[in-house]
Amino acid sequence: MSAMLATVTNPLRVGLRQERVIAPQCLVIFGASGDLTHRKLVPALFELFRQRRLPSEFAVLGCARRPWSDEEFRGKMGDALAKRIEEDPQAWEQFVGKLFYEPVDLQQPDHVFRLGERLERIDEQCSTHGNRTFYLSVSPKFYAGGCRSLADAGLLKDPKRSRVVIEKPFGRDYGSAQALNRVVQTCGQENQIFRIDHYLGKETVQNIMVLRFANTIFEPIWNRNYISSVQITAAETVGVEERAGYYETSGALRDMVQNHLTQMLAITAMEPPGRFDPEAIRNEKAKVLQATRLADELEPWNCCIRGQYGPGGSNESPLSGYRKEPGVDPNSTTETYVAMKLFIDNWRWQGVPFYVRTGKRLAKRLSEVVLTFREAPVHLFDAAAGGPTANQLILRIQPDEGAEFRFEVKSPGSGMRSRPIDMEFSYDDSFGEPSDEGYVRLLADAMLSDPTLFTRSDEVEAAWRLYTPLLELIEDSPWQLPVHPYESRTWGPAAADALLARDGLLWRRP
Amino acid sequence: MSPQLTLQTPLELAPADVPTYLEQLWSPEQQGSTGTGANTFCLLIWQPAWAEQHLIRTGRLNGPITGQQSDQLVAAGQQAVIDADLPSGTPPLAEAVISAVAGWDGINPSEDLRGQYIDPALSALQPRRLITLAPMIEADHPLETLVAAYCPLPEEGGGTTACGDVVVLRGSQNALEEGLAILQPLLPARMPAWVWWNGSLDEAPDLLDQLAGTPRRLILDSAVGTPRQCLDLLRTRVQSGQAVNDLNWLRLSNWRETLAMVFDPPQRREALNHITQMEIDVESNHPAQGLLLAAWIADRLGWKLISSDSDDEAINARFTRGDGVEVRFQLMSVPVGQPSVHPGQMVGLRLICKPDSSPGVCVILCTESGGCMRLESGGMADLELHEEIVPVQNRTPEMDVARLLGGGHDTTNPLLASAAPLAASLLP
Ligand SMILES: NC(=O)c1ccc[n+]([C@@H]2O[C@H](COP(=O)([O-])OP(=O)(O)OC[C@H]3O[C@@H](n4cnc5c(N)ncnc54)[C@H](OP(=O)(O)O)[C@@H]3O)[C@@H](O)[C@H]2O)c1
Repeated sequence: MSAMLATVTNPLRVGLRQERVIAPQCLVIFGASGDLTHRKLVPALFELFRQRRLPSEFAVLGCARRPWSDEEFRGKMGDALAKRIEEDPQAWEQFVGKLFYEPVDLQQPDHVFRLGERLERIDEQCSTHGNRTFYLSVSPKFYAGGCRSLADAGLLKDPKRSRVVIEKPFGRDYGSAQALNRVVQTCGQENQIFRIDHYLGKETVQNIMVLRFANTIFEPIWNRNYISSVQITAAETVGVEERAGYYETSGALRDMVQNHLTQMLAITAMEPPGRFDPEAIRNEKAKVLQATRLADELEPWNCCIRGQYGPGGSNESPLSGYRKEPGVDPNSTTETYVAMKLFIDNWRWQGVPFYVRTGKRLAKRLSEVVLTFREAPVHLFDAAAGGPTANQLILRIQPDEGAEFRFEVKSPGSGMRSRPIDMEFSYDDSFGEPSDEGYVRLLADAMLSDPTLFTRSDEVEAAWRLYTPLLELIEDSPWQLPVHPYESRTWGPAAADALLARDGLLWRRP
Repeated sequence: MSPQLTLQTPLELAPADVPTYLEQLWSPEQQGSTGTGANTFCLLIWQPAWAEQHLIRTGRLNGPITGQQSDQLVAAGQQAVIDADLPSGTPPLAEAVISAVAGWDGINPSEDLRGQYIDPALSALQPRRLITLAPMIEADHPLETLVAAYCPLPEEGGGTTACGDVVVLRGSQNALEEGLAILQPLLPARMPAWVWWNGSLDEAPDLLDQLAGTPRRLILDSAVGTPRQCLDLLRTRVQSGQAVNDLNWLRLSNWRETLAMVFDPPQRREALNHITQMEIDVESNHPAQGLLLAAWIADRLGWKLISSDSDDEAINARFTRGDGVEVRFQLMSVPVGQPSVHPGQMVGLRLICKPDSSPGVCVILCTESGGCMRLESGGMADLELHEEIVPVQNRTPEMDVARLLGGGHDTTNPLLASAAPLAASLLP
C-alpha cells in the first residue's frame, strides 16, 4: 500500500458504512426517460449498490410514455453513467440486470393497472416482496393525477409496503399546495408520502440538528437573550442555464426560498424535539414555521427586496443579463434574487430578525447560516476594530462544509487590546471523505420509510402561507415589489444592503 | 415485544404427507381462507438448543423449550457454570456447560415449542416458510413433523396480510437425518433460501453440508465450536462462493467502525503505514473473533502473513507491510468477571505506529464492559495516545439474523470474504 493511497482514502473505512438496511423492494420511477433520472436518481442508486446498501432482492422499474424495452432503458442509463461505470464496470454489470422498463402514461388508468401486473411479475422474478417505492419524477402537473391513478389501481393500499416520493415544487402557492395535499392524502396516509427537499439531504443541514441537540453548550444560548440576528444565505454563481422555461414561471422565491431556505430556517429555529423521531421533529418544524411571519406583512415592500441579474463578467468572458438568456422574456420581471426579513413570534425568538437571501449569478457559490450574538454588556477593552466584533457562529452548508466560531481574544503585545479570531471545524479535515450526494441519502431514506428528512403536508403549507403576502403582491401590483437589477457576479442589488443598513447591520461577506 | 406464536395449533402429519398438504394449503382455491402466500424467502433453522433442553430436563429452567436465547436461559447457564465448578470465565452456554449439565440427573418433562415461537424481529419480515430442525436429547425419538399456516397479526392501519407457514421436524438426530428427503420440495427455487445453523459448528458436519449447499445463504456463528473447525468451515464456505454470514463477524461491527473513526482525520492516516505492533485481547479461550478483526486490519493495510505460532498464553504472528517492515501480532485470552454468552468476544485492541519522522502513535480500543489494563500498561511513554471505548452491542442472535434477512445479499460481504481465509491461516 503506497503512502499516497493511504492518505487519499481511509483504508479502514472502505465498505464500512453502518447503515440501516433497506428492505427488499421495487423502486418505480415515473419520468424514467427524463433529466433527473439519469442525472441524479440512477447514479444515486448505483452508488448505493456499490456501497452494498441495496438488498439483493431489488429492482428498479423505469416508467415513461416512450415505448422503450428493458434493454433500451439499460443502454440509455449506461450511456449517461459512462464515466462512473469505467471506475467499476463489474458492479455495473451486476447492477444493470436490476433495471427494467415499462411504458406507462400516468394519465391512462389502464396503463397503471397494467403496471400493477408487471410489478407482480417483478415480485416473482426478484423476490421483492410486494414492497414498492413510487418516485414521481415527472412534471408537477402529474403529481395529483399520478397519485390518484396509483391509488385507483390499488397500488397504495398497504401503507407499510408502498410509498410515494414527490419531487419539488410542491404547489406554486398556498392554495395549490393545499389542493395537492388534499388529493395526495386521499390516495394514501401521510406517512406514505415523501416530499423531497434536496437541501435536507445535505449532511451539513442535518448537522445543524446534531450540533444543537447533541451538545449542551449551544442550546442554552440559542435564543433571543443571546442571539441578536440570524442570516441565512444560499448563493449560486450560475445563471438560469437551460431551465429558463421553468424558471420564468417560478423565480427565486418559489424555486429556493419557499422550500430550501425555509427548511434551513426551520431547522435552525425549531424547538428541541422530545425525541429523535420523524414525527417529533416534523412537529417542531411545522410549529416554528407557523409562528414565522414577514417582518412587515401589511407593507411587504419594507421587508423584501427582489433583484434580477444584469450583464457582468469581464471583457474576456462577458456574462449576459437574465433578460438576454435564451428562453427568457426580454421584459421579464422574474426575480433571480430575493432578500427578506422575517420574525418568529415565539418565546425563543421574539424580536430577533432572520434575514434570508438567495440569488443566481452572485459573487460566490455558498450556503450558510450565521448566528450573530449580542454584544458584551460592558466594553472593558480597546478593540482593534474600534468596537468589539460580535461573536458569530457560522454554519457552512456548502462548499467547504463545516462550522466556524468567531470570538474576541487578546491581541499580542502590551496593553489589553482585543481582536476577533476564528475557531474552525471542517468536515474535510475531520472526516476527509466526501459526504454522499443529497439524493443518495434521500433515496435511501425513502426506501427505508424514514420520513425525517422529508417535508410534511403542514410544513409545506405553512411555508407557502408565510410568503402569500409577497406572492399576492407580485401577482397584483408588481410595481410595488420591483426587480432591482444587479451586476452579474456581485452580491446582489444595493437595496438589499439597505434593508440591513436600516437595522444597523451588514450582510456577512463570506 | 414477546415472541409470536403461530395462530393455529400445528397439525401433526406423516412426514410424507407434508409437501402435498402445503401445496394444497396455498393452492388458488384455498387462498380465500389462508390469505396469500408471501413472496419473500424461506428460512431453514438448525435448532438443537442442547443447553436449553438439558437445563429444562434437570429442572434448572422452566419450559417450554423455545430455542430462543432468553435472559432466563443465560442466567441458568451462569448458575450451571458455578455448580459444575467450571472456570469462572466459561461462557454460560458453552460446550463445557452443556456436557456438564448433560451428565446431571433429571427427567422434567416439557413442551417443545421450537419452530412455533417466532421472534417478532423475524415475523416482521413475513418469511414465506420457516422450517425448523429440532433434534431432541432422547436418543431414539422417531421423526415427527408438524405444520401450521401462519399470518403475522395485521398491525394497526390495515394492509394486506401476507402469510407463511411453519414446518417443524423433530426427533432424535438420527431420525432427523433420515427424514431430510422431504426438505427439498419444501424449498422452492424461485425464492431465496437461508439456512441458519444455530448450533455448534462441530456437530453434524455432514448434515450442514447437506442443508447449506449453494445457492442457499448460510448464517453461522464462528464463536460456537472449536476454533479450528469454526475458522476452517468459514473459510471453505466463503471460498465456495455462496453467501456466508457470520454472526461473530457481525458482532465486530462496532470495532471496525470505531477503529475506522480513529483514522478518519486525514492527518492521522499516515500512521497506518507505520504500524509495527498489533495486540488483541479476547475473552475466554476462543480466538476466532479476535483473529477475524486482525485479519480485516491486515487485509485492508495490505500486510502479508509470514508465520504464526502459539504457546499456552497467546497466539503470536508476524506480518510484513507493503514496505517490507515487519509487524508483530499477539492475541491473548484474558480473564473477565462476567463473560459474554458469545465465546471469545473482543476485549481490547492496541496498535503501535512508528513513523520515521514524526512521533509514534498508540491507538487503544477498549470495550465498554471491561477494562483493558494489560494493553494500557507499559511501553508507550513517548507515544501520542488515542484511546476509544467501543460500545457493547446487546442484540440477541434472533435480532442479528433478522437484520441479515431484512437486507439480504446473495454474496458474502467482501470484507468478510477477504478476512476469513486470512483468519484461518492466523490460527496456528
Ligand atoms: N432536473 C432537475 O435537476 C430537477 C431538479 C429538481 C426537481 N426536479 C423535478 O423533477 C421532476 C422531473 O424533472 P426532469 O427534469 O427530469 O423532467 P423532464 O426531463 O422533463 O422529464 C419528464 C419525464 O416525464 C415523462 N412523462 C411526461 N409525461 C408523462 C406521462 N403522462 N406519464 C408518464 N411519464 C410522463 C417524460 O417521458 P416521456 O416523454 O417518455 O413520457 C420524462 O421522462 C420535475 O417535477 C422537476 O420539477 C428536477
